[in-house]
Amino acid sequence: MATVGRILLVEDDPRDTELTMTALEEYNLSNEVVVAADGAEALDYLFCRGKFQRRTGENPAVMLLDLKLPKVDGLEVLAQIRSNDNLKMIPVVVLTSSREERDMVASYKLGVNAYVVKPVDFHEFVNAIKELGVFWAIINEPPPGSIRKK
Amino acid sequence: MWYQKRSANPERDRTQCAIMIVQTGRREPRMPQWRPSLAKIPAAILRYGLAVLSVAIALGVALLLANYDVRRVDFPLFLFAIAITSWYAGTGPAVVAVVVSGLVVDYYFSEPVHSFYITSSELPRWISFILFASLLTWFSSVRRRAERDLLQSRNELEKEVVVRTQQASLLNLTHDTIFVRDMNHVITYWNRGAQELYGWTAEQAIGKHSRELLHTVFPVPIEEVQAELLSTGRWEGELEKTKADGTRVVVASRWSLQRNEKGSPIAILETNNDITERKRGEEEVRKLNQELGNRTIELEAINKELEAFAYSISHDLRAPLRHMVGFTELLQKNASSIVDEKGRHYIMTILESAKRMGILIDDLLAFSRIGRAETRETMVSLEQLVKEVQSEVWQETEGRNITWIVGPLPDLYGDRSMLKLALVNLISNAIKFTRQRSQAEIEIGCAEKPKDGVVVFIKDNGVGFDMKYVNKLFGVFQRLHRTEEFEGTGIGLATVQRIIRRHGGQVWAEGSVGKGATFYLALPK
Repeated sequence: MATVGRILLVEDDPRDTELTMTALEEYNLSNEVVVAADGAEALDYLFCRGKFQRRTGENPAVMLLDLKLPKVDGLEVLAQIRSNDNLKMIPVVVLTSSREERDMVASYKLGVNAYVVKPVDFHEFVNAIKELGVFWAIINEPPPGSIRKK
Repeated sequence: MWYQKRSANPERDRTQCAIMIVQTGRREPRMPQWRPSLAKIPAAILRYGLAVLSVAIALGVALLLANYDVRRVDFPLFLFAIAITSWYAGTGPAVVAVVVSGLVVDYYFSEPVHSFYITSSELPRWISFILFASLLTWFSSVRRRAERDLLQSRNELEKEVVVRTQQASLLNLTHDTIFVRDMNHVITYWNRGAQELYGWTAEQAIGKHSRELLHTVFPVPIEEVQAELLSTGRWEGELEKTKADGTRVVVASRWSLQRNEKGSPIAILETNNDITERKRGEEEVRKLNQELGNRTIELEAINKELEAFAYSISHDLRAPLRHMVGFTELLQKNASSIVDEKGRHYIMTILESAKRMGILIDDLLAFSRIGRAETRETMVSLEQLVKEVQSEVWQETEGRNITWIVGPLPDLYGDRSMLKLALVNLISNAIKFTRQRSQAEIEIGCAEKPKDGVVVFIKDNGVGFDMKYVNKLFGVFQRLHRTEEFEGTGIGLATVQRIIRRHGGQVWAEGSVGKGATFYLALPK
């Protein structure tokens, strides 16, 4: 079996998390998912601090990032990642409900790798998540220093 | 005329000073044009003739009286002749008369008679006669000179009065407010314009302290005004004054300083123009501008709020919807075996409603975005745009028999994506509302060509609408058909109208029930 890259899912809504996990389960990608419920937790994970201070320092293979988050919002997380030498190469996919142009423009300006609007239709949603998961966790070769499992 | 009435007034000198300002540079030195009033003898000959004549008459009378043995009347007679001469003919002829009289007295009336020789006993009498005559002549000439000077100055004064009166009445002709005050701010001249503006007559105003009379309010300290006036000789500014009836006026005021020969300031000429109305207008414009500014700020705030609102709809309303759909789908998938037919129907209804809600949100957001987004105007080919829209909506036409009649369409300047959205809505509507026709007909064409714009129409032979509801057609959430008949959110035509209006155009519709509808778009080119 191919190697599976670690997915960092930054999502504050547990229902969205559940639906996302359901979709990823179909391709057995859910085991390699780490969920951060807000921007601060995501940064803790990436910088190995707080409750993540004991983890090994490798980066996730991809980060699925919601934009509207408590404490530290998605764009702020993105900005911090992109300004840190160790983190700036992490592929980031914005996964959001917002179709607003300014969010899209701001994300791309911060160097996001993909911008995906969560489809309202469940089938489309599941398909989108699956394709994202497969592409970024399996097909794509992540930058060196990313967590991948055989 | 106030000037004449006041000519004996002590104020007069000041008034004259004031008028002098007005006539500065216009006065020419006046040649004395005086002629003695009794100098009816214009030529010297006549005057000297008078001397000779009066002496001759005196001689005649004296000789005549001598014949009657009346003696010693020669002195008074000759002195009388000299007096007449010096009085009426001047000093020169008087001297001649004295000399001639002296000779005649010597010749005819002093011993020895008929000889110019004079005895020593007669000499004192003759000398006293000459002295007396000379004294008379001298007195007379002095007296005459005094009278002449007096007459001359009276004449000059009269002329001056005439000129100044004319000038003063000229100043009175103007409607501009002009008044003069001395350095103690006591008004010395007040024209008709001043009376018209302030309501005080010249009689009331002259002699009053100008600032007290008019309650002048200065924009800057009076000391500054005075300083500028004294250094530059003039001052200009806006002043607030009070009329006789108590109303306030704003005037544009100009001051000029008059100095005397020694250079010391003596009077101030002030002209005023009533600018109260203009100021009021300016004030109104300023207020309106401020209101407009406030309104703009308010509108901007509202717009921002609206944007935030739309953003939260976009993000927050969609999420629960997605969850509803997601978990219902999961329910459908995982629990379909334990749910009966009715349950499956309920699940379907939930899903459909949720999807409908999703479409509504999307449509509403698109609608609100038209108002918020900036238009990007380019040259747009409507023909090309219609073709694109037709290929986009082909799914809706599947299995349908539709005759398309697309006439030549113009190019126009506009926001391509917005115009496309408008066409999508209109063409989708035409497809939707002709659904019941076995042979649908949709015509898109250019109705007429007004000078500076185009009118495009989209005509169908669908179900049409009742013209009495035409006003509701373009309202948000306004629908003329039940959802079971024709699906829709009621936002499409509102969106069309908003797009066309943002382009500075107009949209309207004609239709009748069962016979189809025609939508017109009038757009500037």
